[in-house]
Amino acid sequence: METRIYESSKKYSLIRIIGASFNGFKNSRFLARQLATRDLRAQYRQSFLGFFWAFAPILINAAVWIVLRGTGTVQLAETPISYPLYVVVGTTLWTIFTECLSAPILAVNGNKSIITKINFDKEALITLSIIKVSVNSLIKFSLVIALLLYYSPAISSSLLFFVPLFLLSVLFFLSIGVLLTPIGVLYQDIGRAIPMTMQVLMYVTPVVYMMPESGWMRTIMTYNPLTYIVTDIRNTLTGLPVEHWSVHIGIGVTGLLLALLALVVYRISVPIITERMSS
Amino acid sequence: METTLIKVNQVSKKFSKDLKRSLYYGLVDVFSGVIGRNGSGALRKDEFWAVRDVSFEVKRGECLGLIGHNGAGKSTLLKMLNGLIVPDEGRIEMHGKIGALIELGAGFNPILTGRENIYNNAAVIGFSKKEVDAKLDSIIEFAELREFIDMPVQNYSSGMKVRLGFAVAAQMEPDILIIDEVLAVGDLGFRVKCINRINELMKKTAVIFVSHAMTQVSAICNRIILMDKGSVQFNGTDIGKGIEHYLLKFDHSDNQIIGNGSVVLKDVQLISAGGAATNAAVIDWGEQLTVKLALQVDSKIKHVKLRLGVFNTEYRLLAEVDSEQTGKTYSNNHGVIAVSVDIGSLNLRQGRYAIHLHVIDADTKEKYLRQTDVAHFVVNAPLSVGADFLLPSNWR
Repeated sequence: METRIYESSKKYSLIRIIGASFNGFKNSRFLARQLATRDLRAQYRQSFLGFFWAFAPILINAAVWIVLRGTGTVQLAETPISYPLYVVVGTTLWTIFTECLSAPILAVNGNKSIITKINFDKEALITLSIIKVSVNSLIKFSLVIALLLYYSPAISSSLLFFVPLFLLSVLFFLSIGVLLTPIGVLYQDIGRAIPMTMQVLMYVTPVVYMMPESGWMRTIMTYNPLTYIVTDIRNTLTGLPVEHWSVHIGIGVTGLLLALLALVVYRISVPIITERMSS
Repeated sequence: METTLIKVNQVSKKFSKDLKRSLYYGLVDVFSGVIGRNGSGALRKDEFWAVRDVSFEVKRGECLGLIGHNGAGKSTLLKMLNGLIVPDEGRIEMHGKIGALIELGAGFNPILTGRENIYNNAAVIGFSKKEVDAKLDSIIEFAELREFIDMPVQNYSSGMKVRLGFAVAAQMEPDILIIDEVLAVGDLGFRVKCINRINELMKKTAVIFVSHAMTQVSAICNRIILMDKGSVQFNGTDIGKGIEHYLLKFDHSDNQIIGNGSVVLKDVQLISAGGAATNAAVIDWGEQLTVKLALQVDSKIKHVKLRLGVFNTEYRLLAEVDSEQTGKTYSNNHGVIAVSVDIGSLNLRQGRYAIHLHVIDADTKEKYLRQTDVAHFVVNAPLSVGADFLLPSNWR
């Protein structure tokens, strides 16, 4: 017979917590899928434009920059690929990264009513975030694919690296998202700060414009590792070579370590944040 | 000898009264939890013990009734038993599969249909996809909602939602069952169905039952724990005794006074057949209760008549006595009126009752005073019944 023991001792073994966490993921697959189906169905059933809203922010942001550049309102360095493709790919990646950061907090906050009432494997909410981010990413990439077909840039072998490089950075951002969840659920400040921070970061990363030839912006962008992530992932889609392997390996290793840390922190903190949640 | 399925040993839990501080302590606890440092266990500023030093055991086939007033710590204890929050001190052992009837219909989304929400709710309470597929028909059957099963749940009545929720929960086959006041739902027919299903489950499980409905508690439980301010006040198998303790704990200081101040109630005494004069009496079923009132009356008032109402804990008026029954009016005696009334054969069921007072002018019928909760009494009945009255009867 299965036995559960609840006690106050804060001594724990890392291995056991990580093991329990993996078990939590395994046992809650059906629940996570069910919650994801529930949320996505409800979201699209109660909407007239449906999927459009997944890429509306990308379209708007891209349109703004295309107009700013096209009308000469801002002077931007020439991009190696056609500008609309450049800006759409950049913005798509950036919105996905932002979503990775906020998704776990949203998942926990959105399911407060069951967290405070029912004992289930809370890892389901992380899986739920992953499923939602994946589905939304697929929808967003349909726009990118349409543009790629339209502009048909040179396709090279670097396309093969798109999936692994993309997944590494998603892992990195999701881990930070999960790591922020306990604080983000306790204090709403985190949830508000994420989109704002990401917006500021976007302007010091070559998302909607190239790295300038000189000046202090160039210095900032050079020290910003996200510069290389965004540039290289965009390159894999547009037939340009991947240049900064060390950065990707660094992000991957950091992401993996952060993921393990995030799982431990999440598992330990769930009962503590449950205590402070209103149902 | 049945096995012990629930062992609770000296469990305590602290909460903070202040939100900001509570959040901050949460942050501190997350941090010290992650680095594996043990706190001192002492109360920090603005903290109090929501649950203090609670111990008990429940075997298979037993039912523990957890009673206490709002804020006594029942829900906190239940959350610890259910594994939602971790005790600050002590240890809880739960052996076997746990089923909680705490929230019916958890995970429902109003936009989706009843059928879709069966899957949502079942997944949340721990069923696998295969189990739900297999049980889908019996769930719909149990809920009696076949006609509306493909309609969005937001168009359901609240009773229908609860029926669907219970129908899913009823499929559980737990070893330990935690029930928190969910029985008083739905229409009468469905309620009977719920209670039957719960009774069926209870035979094979260790049950913890939280309720404010003392009739249900006395009907179901074979042990009672009465909690007050986080600690155990009563723990025993004498259900009647436990319930009496609970009922006497009611302290309604929120009595309402409606009147123009020309009549003021100065003193109330209840005298049971035993003879003790208090303002909270315990009387045996069918006995007489004497109520003595001292009123301070304005000099303009000449004669008054009185009426007393007996209310139960759900604020339902059950019985009244009126001075007009004996044609008695009370005259103003230098600003004071003393009243003594014998109320005969109180055939009320086991429970706690409140007395409300009305004072009316005997001539003009003007209402001078209407005061709630002037006194309380507890009736000890020989057996537990569902109705409000247990009538004297002679069986041949």
